[in-house]
Amino acid sequence: MTKAHYRTTTLAATLLAALAGQAGAQDVIWWYEQATPDQQQLIADLIEAPYAEANPDETLVIDYRGNELDKQLRVAMLSGSGPDVVYTPGPSYVAPMAQSGQLLPLDDYAEQYGWNDRILPVFLEMGRYDGTLYALPKTYETLGLYYNASLFEENGWEVPGSIAELETLADEMLAKDIVPFAAGNSDWRGANEWFVSLALNAVAGPEKVYQALTGEIPWTDPAFVESIDALARWWEAGYFGDDYFSLDSGEQVAAMLAQGEAGMMPSGTWAFQNIDIYFGESGAEPGFTGFPSAEGEPVFPLGVGSTFSIAQSSDNPDGAAKVIDFIFSPGFYGPMNSAWQGEWNIPLSDLSGVEMDPDAMPIFVEAMATLATSVDEGNYGYTSWTFLPPATNSLLINGIEEVWLDRTTSEEFLAELDAQFQQEMAEDKVPAIPAR
Amino acid sequence: MHRLYVLPTLIINVVIIAIPALLTITLAFFQWDGISSPRFVGGENFADLWHDRVFWTALTNNVIWTAIFLTVPVGMGLLAATMMLVARRGSTFFQVVYFLPVIIATAITARIWQGMIYSPVTGINGLLDRYGLEMTNPLTQTATSLYGIAVVDLWHWWGFLCVIFFAALRQVPAEQVEAARVEGATFWQTMRYVLLPGIKPTITLMLIMTVIWSFLVFDFVYILTQGGPAYSSEVLSTLAYRSAFYDLAVGKAAAVSVVISLFGLCATVFYIRAQAKEFEE
Repeated sequence: MTKAHYRTTTLAATLLAALAGQAGAQDVIWWYEQATPDQQQLIADLIEAPYAEANPDETLVIDYRGNELDKQLRVAMLSGSGPDVVYTPGPSYVAPMAQSGQLLPLDDYAEQYGWNDRILPVFLEMGRYDGTLYALPKTYETLGLYYNASLFEENGWEVPGSIAELETLADEMLAKDIVPFAAGNSDWRGANEWFVSLALNAVAGPEKVYQALTGEIPWTDPAFVESIDALARWWEAGYFGDDYFSLDSGEQVAAMLAQGEAGMMPSGTWAFQNIDIYFGESGAEPGFTGFPSAEGEPVFPLGVGSTFSIAQSSDNPDGAAKVIDFIFSPGFYGPMNSAWQGEWNIPLSDLSGVEMDPDAMPIFVEAMATLATSVDEGNYGYTSWTFLPPATNSLLINGIEEVWLDRTTSEEFLAELDAQFQQEMAEDKVPAIPAR
Repeated sequence: MHRLYVLPTLIINVVIIAIPALLTITLAFFQWDGISSPRFVGGENFADLWHDRVFWTALTNNVIWTAIFLTVPVGMGLLAATMMLVARRGSTFFQVVYFLPVIIATAITARIWQGMIYSPVTGINGLLDRYGLEMTNPLTQTATSLYGIAVVDLWHWWGFLCVIFFAALRQVPAEQVEAARVEGATFWQTMRYVLLPGIKPTITLMLIMTVIWSFLVFDFVYILTQGGPAYSSEVLSTLAYRSAFYDLAVGKAAAVSVVISLFGLCATVFYIRAQAKEFEE
């Protein structure tokens, strides 16, 4: 063999080995959404490093795909070239993927790893399609009412215990030139649905929402008209402030609340991260409570931010299952939720083995514990992004603006919503609704 | 044998343009969520669009957008180009200044206007408001949202037309301009009878391209308002995007895209005929 031949052969062999290594059967590919450099570091430290240590023969490759992950995923899944760990934006994506045979049934893995005992049953139900388990939720969340406790104390205000009290308090805030609800949607129009979900669950009640989701009653029911009317009344009264369409739904509104420009902030548990940052800067004390209902008891609309599945086309389904199993462990829950609050609230049924950092925000720990108890007792509401089919949800997000801006009435909005829902229900696009 | 030379171009055109275009047209006759198998529904998607008020709002907004861009930036561009022609000194500097917004990525331009100009918290609007001058963010009002976006796109776009028109004006034979001057023609008469007819093909091309681009507008609308508030700034492309990626109604999105293409097709036919006429002359 000449020198040149030797060099060429070595180069070819190296390239082949590298290619084989890149697409090796022992790799587990997981496409993740947008994450800041700090968040990516947390994922590297708390997922990749411990996984590599426990599985030296396998490599977990986490690929950050940005905000457009869902679109990329749909195309990749269609062509059978997607990742091993399928990370969908929510249960409404799971049904069509399962229906098309793109996802692997997880029942055997659930049996093998004991997920049926470890995960809250309601979430297992949500991941089923035609009785087969296809997805596990990465995080569950709820909507509630953040408030500036220091501002409340200064003004002698009490946390509202009913809708009537909420409205009285909001009027008092307006009289003092304080915006009652820190809210905005300039970055994410989907923020509209947080308020619609709150109104539907707080005014009409979770039972009515459940009946509508299961097709027992239409969305034009008077209870829902009353809910949307209440939301329109709050808008009209100025509870959402003058700059709703100009403010972003995350940092700007959290800053407003922390600085006392707004008194309350109806938002989700994902906002705890911003609360920590901005209240830390302002030195004010934050508070969090369930959104009051018409009856008085707070409601916790339940939401699932994203789900885990395994691709049918995966070369390494066992590795993917191992990754999912690692995430569904108390040993992961504690450190991750201590460092990154609101995004990794894995639905473990028993949190007694979880060790949280003593410095973690007490109101976050308390809120998550209350939510877990409420869900376990079946006392929860429904968020639109988790339980409504896609086109109905999109209509809800955009249509409510028409109600707010007097371009349509609550009745017309709900009639349109109901027509869309009935169509999608007939097409079998409504996600699994766990029995109450 | 020489025909083989067109083969690479032909393959690129078929793979990149013809196949996706045909697939889009085909999909317009199917119901498809982008995940499961498509189902043939005939002309149902088009019939649904006919009864969809948001579609008509979007179409109207596209027509308004086209009318704005056929007049305002063309007028501004022609005026500034003519002024640069008259006062040559500094024309290179102004060309660069006018052209600068064109080379900035649209996403950045949009974010700058949204955050640093229109925003009542972080923008000039908010600053003026704090000094007692009552300002409203145009993007937040149903009556002004489309115009608020158009202002941003105009700022970004008119300089391009100006530079193109200036380049064309410089190609008008100097003898004709000189003859007009000797004949005692005023500035406006020179414009009307010498310069504008001299650059007519350029103006026609720009107008036709404006019609096509106006029906394709997406980026500024999507970044600044996502079609809101309350669909007030919805255009056909944002409707198609929302249908495909949020409503998971790919068939409807394809039908909207076909409608967009029809307007582009009309403009293209008009352009080809105008060109053919020019050749005949």
